[in-house]
Order: sequence, then C-alpha cells, then structure tokens
Amino acid sequence: MKRRALVTALLIAAGLIWAATVGAMYHAVRHFETTPGRGAAARTMWPARSRIVPVRDRWTLVMLIHPHCSCTRASLQELERIIEMSDPSLQTYVVVYRPADFQAGWEKTETFEAAKHLQRAHVIVDPDGAEARLFGGFTSGQTFLYDREGALRFSGGITSLRGHAGVNRGSMDVVDIVHAKAQQGTHPVFGCAIVTTESEKRP
Amino acid sequence: MSEIATDRESGNEARAVALRDEQLHARRVRVDRMFVWLFLIQYIGGIIAALTVSPYAWEGKVHTVHLHVWIAVIGGAGIIILPILLAIFRPGTTLTRHVIAASQMLSSALLIHLTGGRIETHFHVFGSLAFLAFYLDWKTLLTATVVVAGDHFLRGIFWPESVYGVANPEWWRFLEHAGWVAFEDVFLIWACVMGKREIAASAARQAQVEHLSELEQLKSAALEMAMAEMQVASA
Repeated sequence: MKRRALVTALLIAAGLIWAATVGAMYHAVRHFETTPGRGAAARTMWPARSRIVPVRDRWTLVMLIHPHCSCTRASLQELERIIEMSDPSLQTYVVVYRPADFQAGWEKTETFEAAKHLQRAHVIVDPDGAEARLFGGFTSGQTFLYDREGALRFSGGITSLRGHAGVNRGSMDVVDIVHAKAQQGTHPVFGCAIVTTESEKRP
Repeated sequence: MSEIATDRESGNEARAVALRDEQLHARRVRVDRMFVWLFLIQYIGGIIAALTVSPYAWEGKVHTVHLHVWIAVIGGAGIIILPILLAIFRPGTTLTRHVIAASQMLSSALLIHLTGGRIETHFHVFGSLAFLAFYLDWKTLLTATVVVAGDHFLRGIFWPESVYGVANPEWWRFLEHAGWVAFEDVFLIWACVMGKREIAASAARQAQVEHLSELEQLKSAALEMAMAEMQVASA
C-alpha cells in the first residue's frame, strides 16, 4: 500500500516535470530562434578604407561570418540560393572573422569550407573583425548589397530565424533588388556576435 | 440441452476474450519496454547531435555552451522521464501508451530542432508512428497525430517561420503537414485493426482447442469410470 502511494507520487512528480519541461523548452527555443543579433550601423556608401576593392559597374554583396557559429550554415545556404538566382556579374565576398590573438587556421571550420565552395564567391579572412567594423556589421550572417555606384541597397540577414534556411523576406529582397524589382531592403540578422561591445572600440 | 450448449458457447467466448486480452497485454508490455530503450537511445543521440552540430555559442572569441546542448541534456531528460517511469511502474496500461506516443512525437520535434531542421530528421516522425502501431491500438496513433498537429499549430501562431519559413502562412498550413501524418495513420490504423482481429481469431481458436481438449478429458474419464463399473459388475 505504501509502495503504491510512493509510486503514484513519483509519477505525479514526473508528470509535472514533463509538462514543465515541454513548456520551458518551447519558450527557450522560441526566444533563441526569434531573437535577432545586433543590427548593422551600415555605411550608405562603400567604405573606402576596406581591403576589398569592388569591381566597377557590378553589384557587390558582402557577408560577414563567424566561422564557428552554427547558425551561419543556414545563412550560407541562403547565400548559395541568392547567387544561383542572381546575375553572374554579382560579386560576392564572404568575410570570415578571426580574433587577432588566435592562430591562423582557427577559422578553417566546416562553415569556412562551405563558404569556399560557393560559386563565384571570394572568401577573405578578417583578423579581429577589422573589415566588419568598417562595414558597420556586428553579427554573423550580416549581408550588405551595394549597387554599381557603390551605394548601399540592402543591409540585414538573409534567414528567417536563427539557423533556419528557407524562403524568407531578406533573401527575397536581395534577389529582387538585384533584378531591379525593389529599391532598398533590410531584414533582422540572426547569428553569433562578431564585433562585441568591447572590440567595437578598437581602430 | 440447448441451455447447456449456450452456456458452453458463452464460456468459450469469455475464455477467448480473456486469452485475447492476455496476449494484447503481454504484447503492449513488451512494446512499452522497447520504447524505454528507444527513449534512452534517442536521448543519447540528441546529446551527440547537439554536441556535433552546435556545441558552442560564440561572441567574438568567447564561447559558451550552446543552448541546444542544454536543451538536449535537460529538456531531453524531462521529456522521457514520465514515459519511462510509467513503462516501469504501469506497463501495459492505456495511460502509459498515450504518454509514450506524445513523448515520442516530442522527441521527434526535439531531434529535428537539434539537427538544425534537417528534412531527413523529419522521417523520425514517420518511423515513430510505425513503432507506435506495434501496440495495435489505433487511438495511440491519434494521440501522436494530435501532438504533431498541435506542435505545428502553436508554432504556426507564435513563430511560423520555424515551421513554414515564412512569417504569414495560411491558417490551414498546419493541416497540410498533419495531413501527411494522417496519410500514414490510415494504413497503420488498418494494420492495427487487422492485427487485433488476428489475435482475437487466434485466441478464439485456442479457446476452442482448450474446450475440445476439456471435453475429451471428460469423455475419457467417463469411459474409464464405465469400464471400472463393468469390471466390478463382472467380478
């Protein structure tokens, strides 16, 4: 009799834990997936001090990535789709963050390899996020699209949520702008931080 | 005479029903135990997936354990604790089956999330439904389907991009996803009904055999008694 009561109490406790876990998990996942990273303070014109020299009379797309950010794989999948759907003259640069005091090679992850395999894309290692700061980006997956005159036309992320590839407003905007179906665009960016508040102050 | 026959028939039927219930119960206890192992394997698999796909969250050069790892370890344990305890302490009961069905679908949702929403992981849902059909209880499949539809419905309301990739899907989109689950359900429910009928038929045959064997024993006993009486009379 006593054992039966104990088992019943144990099962009720397990039931409460079960219900609480399901509720807490939904809340945590939703919060994680839908909370964007810090939006860019993008320059309206191509930053002159950048190491990247845009090709004249071509659209240029720059994506900043953190090579260890798992959510960035989805951004690269979307970038691949954008490249496929855009004119071959679109110049694409993937700027890969590496902390200055970390050894070369730290950035060579699966994400880095995925970036290297993108068609018509150039991969550039960015020690200490210097390029990211020049472009005004803070978050992995941040994408900038500059037109033939070097004017900023899109700034934002190209995924709908953290780590979610698939049709979304950001990537559609980029394709529409390149195809002259839209003028400007912006979208929340989802990913790990590249430039933190502390590193932002560096030159 | 006919009353005796009717009594025998109802006795046979009762025995057939008892045998059927006994066999179904034994089968469901076995399936409960199978799910205990499956939950443990999935739990370990979820942790491995989280550690492989997204071990750390980064802020510049600083990394912390990724939320997915915590979800796999703590959330995964929270999901399986109740069905495992029920399978141990209340095996073969209706409640245990339905909690297992709901938890299995939640495990699918968790694994899909931990693997970054890979299309391939969605097959886990369909495999799980097939496992649940081992219970030969179609209502268990309905519970699983309601959990899948409920998950899609709620996420469709609160953060639709996570399921459909777009922010403003049609309200009925969750029915499209649940529809594919229902498609499999139709065949599995049919298999459950047929399986249960086969067990009932087998139980009825066994009850009949038992009854005939009992009659044979009674006849033999009567014959032996008659022979004994004849021997006594001739002596």
